[in-house]
Amino acid sequence: MISVLSTNITSPLGLTTEQNYQAVFSGSTALRRYEGMWGLPEPFAASLFSDEQKAALALDGYTFFEALAIRSVREALSHLRLDVTSERVVFILSTTKGNVEEINTPRYYPSESASIIARNIGLTTTPIVVCNACVSGLSAQLLADHLLTANLYDYAIVVGAEVQSKFIVAGFQSLKAISEEPCRPFDMERNGLNPGEAAATIVFGKPSPRLGDVREGLYWNLVDGAACNDACHLVSPSPQGVGLTAAIETAMKGRDKKQLATICAHGTATLYNDQMESKAIEKAHLSDIPLSALKGYYGHTMGAAGVLETILSMRATDDGIVLATKGFMEPGVSGKVSINGEPRPIDKTAFLKVMSGFGGCNVTALYERGAGSMEQGAGSMEQGARGKVKLEKVQTVRFSSAEGTSPSDIYKQEIGNYPKFYKMDILSRLAFVAAEKVLSNSPLKDEDKKPALILFNHSSSIESDRRFLDTISRAEDFFPSPSAFVYTLPNIAAGEIAIRHQLLGETSFYILPEKDETLMQQILEATLGGTEARSVVSGWVDAESNTSYECELTIYSVKV
Amino acid sequence: MEQLINDLKQQIKEVLNLEELSLEDFDADAPLFADEGIGLDSIDVLEIIVLLEKQYGIRLANPKEGKAIFKSVRTIAEYVQANRKK
Repeated sequence: MISVLSTNITSPLGLTTEQNYQAVFSGSTALRRYEGMWGLPEPFAASLFSDEQKAALALDGYTFFEALAIRSVREALSHLRLDVTSERVVFILSTTKGNVEEINTPRYYPSESASIIARNIGLTTTPIVVCNACVSGLSAQLLADHLLTANLYDYAIVVGAEVQSKFIVAGFQSLKAISEEPCRPFDMERNGLNPGEAAATIVFGKPSPRLGDVREGLYWNLVDGAACNDACHLVSPSPQGVGLTAAIETAMKGRDKKQLATICAHGTATLYNDQMESKAIEKAHLSDIPLSALKGYYGHTMGAAGVLETILSMRATDDGIVLATKGFMEPGVSGKVSINGEPRPIDKTAFLKVMSGFGGCNVTALYERGAGSMEQGAGSMEQGARGKVKLEKVQTVRFSSAEGTSPSDIYKQEIGNYPKFYKMDILSRLAFVAAEKVLSNSPLKDEDKKPALILFNHSSSIESDRRFLDTISRAEDFFPSPSAFVYTLPNIAAGEIAIRHQLLGETSFYILPEKDETLMQQILEATLGGTEARSVVSGWVDAESNTSYECELTIYSVKV
Repeated sequence: MEQLINDLKQQIKEVLNLEELSLEDFDADAPLFADEGIGLDSIDVLEIIVLLEKQYGIRLANPKEGKAIFKSVRTIAEYVQANRKK
């Protein structure tokens, strides 16, 4: 369990958590329709910063993405006396596409953006980028929980940030996932999501008077959470919500649902997502808990969404309110859920946040207001402390372009019979082939139904990003490729492995400035200490291009 | 018609990276999306929609309209013949 020390939301609706909460409470939305934006032939609705807002937020020498994240972190830190230069402070950036438009410069690399932001703030530790598609913002918070609970750091600054671009909008349009009207989560008439831009920050850690915090001992605590893959499809959720149901049940295990003020849904307003969520919530016996879906105010702010929506849910619960699901009028899902287009009063002290995303990932986190994590007899939902784990290497597979081994050759010579292999980009091919080898030689034990899969790299999905960009960069030849776009999320590589081997546990993708084995090992041990998985497949899977790549994957068993 | 069917087979094989499928084995009447056929999925449908627009100038805004069209290569060819703009 970790405590929330400070928060910020920087969005088109406001520059602080309070401004954003008041705007949302009063029913404001930043969504509007755009036509001809960025030369895109099809209109779309989105929540974007205006030119004036952008000019006010801009910082000399920084991209707008970097400036947005810096502004958000700085505002959150302004409420605390925290020595950010300490080696006990970790910086976690959650984003899906970061500085993607900078693809021809070093700033493209998400870890480079993270380092630029971290340096501006004054941080000295290695930043970690979480790139888990739509669930990134919640994954980043669970990672903070793991790292702090394992006592590797005392404080975590988690910032989720996303700016919108022709790249992202054309991609989602090619998947027919974007609505040109303001989105309508869970409604009969819903027909797609709206992209949104925002940054949101949560500073986690142990409350202490020396931080200058004067909240009379009541804090929001992240008390538990879970990540479960569907192992079903790269971009469609499991129709029965298999992974989300499991993730909800894990987070709620042994807890009293009567304490829940709300379930803050993912609610993207795509047909499949909202339907799946309704099924999962019903299956987890939470149909009577008020549901709130917040995309009608901000659109889908992607890497920022998990952080932003968590902060708003805390603030609304403090205020005794379940926020209205803007855009919702008539139920359009078959699973039973309690959803409302108007705000409702409630007097509870906990809520559940859920998210689902491409690559089949589902993440849940349970928050409760109570005493801070330092004090005795902390939050009533708190369970026993986590055990320490040791990881034992079972087997490692290594290959790289430098040795002249290609994943296609390995596939042809040693694997075969999986035609989908040829649809994969280089990153997924590397991960797939390596996983195939480690898992065929060291099959998972039967008792471990939910092994974790944690991948790291430096180059994100750069080769697929180039390929997709090539399909949208000429107006006369503008044919955004949906299959290329799918692979512009690096965690798709983990999704491919999950589907192939039916892995139903956590799948995560982290981006680092370099292959830092100590940090990778620390992340693994901290993560495995906080889950029930008894084995983990993990390693470095990096492709700078189709001809320059490096892969090292290990299967570990977990010793408690 | 046979020429168009062959062109489409080649184009579909290429955009969907059906590397292991030989054109001879690519039956124009086989179901494209059933398990016993080539087994394409929803992303493949979207990619074929892009192909139809790029090669034949056909715009299909709603993938749901495509259900009948995407039964087999032959039904796609018939649709292309009737609606092509280039």
